Amino acid sequence: MVATTEALTLKSETPRRKRRDLIPWMFVAPCMMVILLVTVFPTIYSLGLSLTKWEIGLQERPFIGLGNYIELFSTARFWRSLLITLLVVVVGVSIEFLLGFGLAQTLSGPMKGKRFIVAALLLPVMVMPVVVGYTWRLLWDAQYGPINQIIGWIIGQPFTYTWLAKTETALLAILVTEIWQWTPFMFLVFLSGLAVLDPEIFEAADIDGASGWTKLWYMTLPLMRPIIVVALLIRGLDALKFFDIIFTLTGGGPGNSTETLSFYIYQMGYQFFRLGYGAAASFVLLVFLAVFLTYLLKAFKAAVER
Amino acid sequence: MRTRMFKIFSVLLAVAMLLVLAVPVVYAQGPCQGSSSQCAVEAAKKFAGTTINYVREAGLQAQDPLTMAPIWEELTGIKVNVIELAYLDMYTKPLQDHLTGGGAYDAIDLSPMWMQDYVNAGALEPLDPYIEKYMNPADMEDFLPVYRSEGVMKINGVTYGLYDDGDVFILYYRKDLFEDETNKAEFKAKYGYELVPPETEQQMYDAAEFFTNKYAPELYGLAIQRLEGQAYSWFVGPFSGRGGQFFDENMKATINSEIGVQLLTDMVKQNKVMPPGVEKWGFMEVLSAWMDGKVAMIVTWPPIGRWSAGYGDTAKQLAWVPASKVVGKVGYMPQPGGRPTLAGGFNMCVSASSNNKEAAYLFIQWMTSPDISLQRVMLPFALRDPYRLSHFNSPLYRSAWPEAGEYLDTLKKAAMAGQYELGIPGAREYMEAIDNALTAAYAGKDPKEALDEAAAKWDAITERLGVENQKKAYEQWLQNPWNRLGPKVEIPTE
Repeated sequence: MVATTEALTLKSETPRRKRRDLIPWMFVAPCMMVILLVTVFPTIYSLGLSLTKWEIGLQERPFIGLGNYIELFSTARFWRSLLITLLVVVVGVSIEFLLGFGLAQTLSGPMKGKRFIVAALLLPVMVMPVVVGYTWRLLWDAQYGPINQIIGWIIGQPFTYTWLAKTETALLAILVTEIWQWTPFMFLVFLSGLAVLDPEIFEAADIDGASGWTKLWYMTLPLMRPIIVVALLIRGLDALKFFDIIFTLTGGGPGNSTETLSFYIYQMGYQFFRLGYGAAASFVLLVFLAVFLTYLLKAFKAAVER
Repeated sequence: MRTRMFKIFSVLLAVAMLLVLAVPVVYAQGPCQGSSSQCAVEAAKKFAGTTINYVREAGLQAQDPLTMAPIWEELTGIKVNVIELAYLDMYTKPLQDHLTGGGAYDAIDLSPMWMQDYVNAGALEPLDPYIEKYMNPADMEDFLPVYRSEGVMKINGVTYGLYDDGDVFILYYRKDLFEDETNKAEFKAKYGYELVPPETEQQMYDAAEFFTNKYAPELYGLAIQRLEGQAYSWFVGPFSGRGGQFFDENMKATINSEIGVQLLTDMVKQNKVMPPGVEKWGFMEVLSAWMDGKVAMIVTWPPIGRWSAGYGDTAKQLAWVPASKVVGKVGYMPQPGGRPTLAGGFNMCVSASSNNKEAAYLFIQWMTSPDISLQRVMLPFALRDPYRLSHFNSPLYRSAWPEAGEYLDTLKKAAMAGQYELGIPGAREYMEAIDNALTAAYAGKDPKEALDEAAAKWDAITERLGVENQKKAYEQWLQNPWNRLGPKVEIPTE
């Protein structure tokens, strides 16, 4: 009899429990559906696209397996664009890190007019990259640009070098522009990090007679490690997708000499409508981003554990 | 008997009434006998209350439809929503819209160079049935032959666009400098021939070198747009004029032939007699320098001719254009080299994804009709250039400023000798390869190496899109005499 009652109770509770278990899913479901629709589905769709020969000039869109990937890896223009991207990530972000950290260190203590200086230093990061690109295009102008004007004053004769039209200097001009815009971001992150470091540790080091360099190398940098990793992670990911300033300053030129991977994908996918090939290139970029992210997250974890 | 008679009478009356009712229907569906603009207006009234989305290049180009749309709305009750896009986005966005089944655009402006890609994608509505139904056939004949030819308004014999912008490169030169007696004497002493408005590329270079050496930095001999993106347009015409060919009989690229390499070498050399930094000069830089009297010659599109004459310079839409310091000093010549580039230009087309195809067609017929289009090409701030015989012959236009007749005759002469940019599938990609080669050579790369790279890219594009397909499309494209490359265009007798 008891067993029968228990069985009845279980029988009557099971559907209720089931209902109860379903309720959280019902709340989450709309959100999940949106995520599936806007991220997972397009990713799977574009993966499928990358395996087809989808060209605007062709009537058929045949399945070609890894054909797009094989073509991609055998194209010199792709490798060059990848090299330029890595150059921007490694050189650009490193210089931004050094300058940003240096500025933050300089302005971390109390000083007169600090608020104004910090606000002024942050201005570039608040400007849209496209506006930055067009502004710097004027600054780099051969005939009317202030940069050539100043160089002309220094050397005492008119200077009309075409920075953006020469292969040797176009990338340099892009890097300077990029560094100008994004160093303030690094500065801001590091300034916040330095502000929360315990001053007592540094006071103790002062009492022990530690030099400025010793404090920086053995105390500030290790303590700042998690923040540095996060800053590098954010800027590195952003630099891997570097596009706007290239688009406005050089359009990838002269020739294809300043084309980044993002710009190359844009050209292939949205200018020439080689959607299959463009999708394949996007997946390669995605892999790079994933590898970069995994490496830096590991570094972040190690930094926190230390 | 009376009943029978009544029945016969009733049937006859019914037939007569049907015939009476059918007359206007037959008339409305037959070819338009009067003005195409009026026929478009009458037919469009039945679509009153609808809205047409029309794609136009952003900026000054859009001022023309923004001016005309309220008139069209007043006449027909159809609202026109002008969507402004950057030039290169005009190729990509409507195509993206079509491919994603959007239907966001009804009427679109397309460069002839892009037509083949759009037709291949099924993105354009064939216009012949509408033309037959609504247009006065005589108005079709009024388009200058170069603008109504295969590969421009028509692809494989089907009309997909109504031409609406007579874009062709001409040379503007400073008459005061060329007619100056001292300049003439000094030039002759140095070069051994008379200083004349240049007809050949060598004459243009010599004159440019002469003026630059004499007047720089106050004034330079020549300025030509070299900025990446559309630099190729200044390569195409001279390349054709010198006898260059895009492809050989096996569809192998021949842009890196001796002719191509020599041309690019000459173009790099030209930069030395142009203002410093010209490698990054776009339309605005050339315009500003010219209007400011800082250059002796420029090779560019037709609107600059109107602005430098000070035509309509009080229009508020032209407030951004520098005031002309060269009014009354400007002479016109076709782009030197024999085959001026028919650079850009626009067709007005109807999107195949449109939900208002007929209304959109009637709007473009009205806009391009002889009477309305004359008003539009004469708008001082518009960038639409003369393209109908009636435009070139218009007494009103020819008296718009003292040299207007000379200007119109030069445009017509240049267009009739013109060379179109390549218009086969993948045209944008082919042209971009030339653009890359030009900017690389301007940056110091060896011209041969730059063009070899471009030719390799061309071959890869051809291979990818199918050699036979491309060959067929190219042969079809060459049917148009203004597409065929060579020193002279063989104009068909009409």
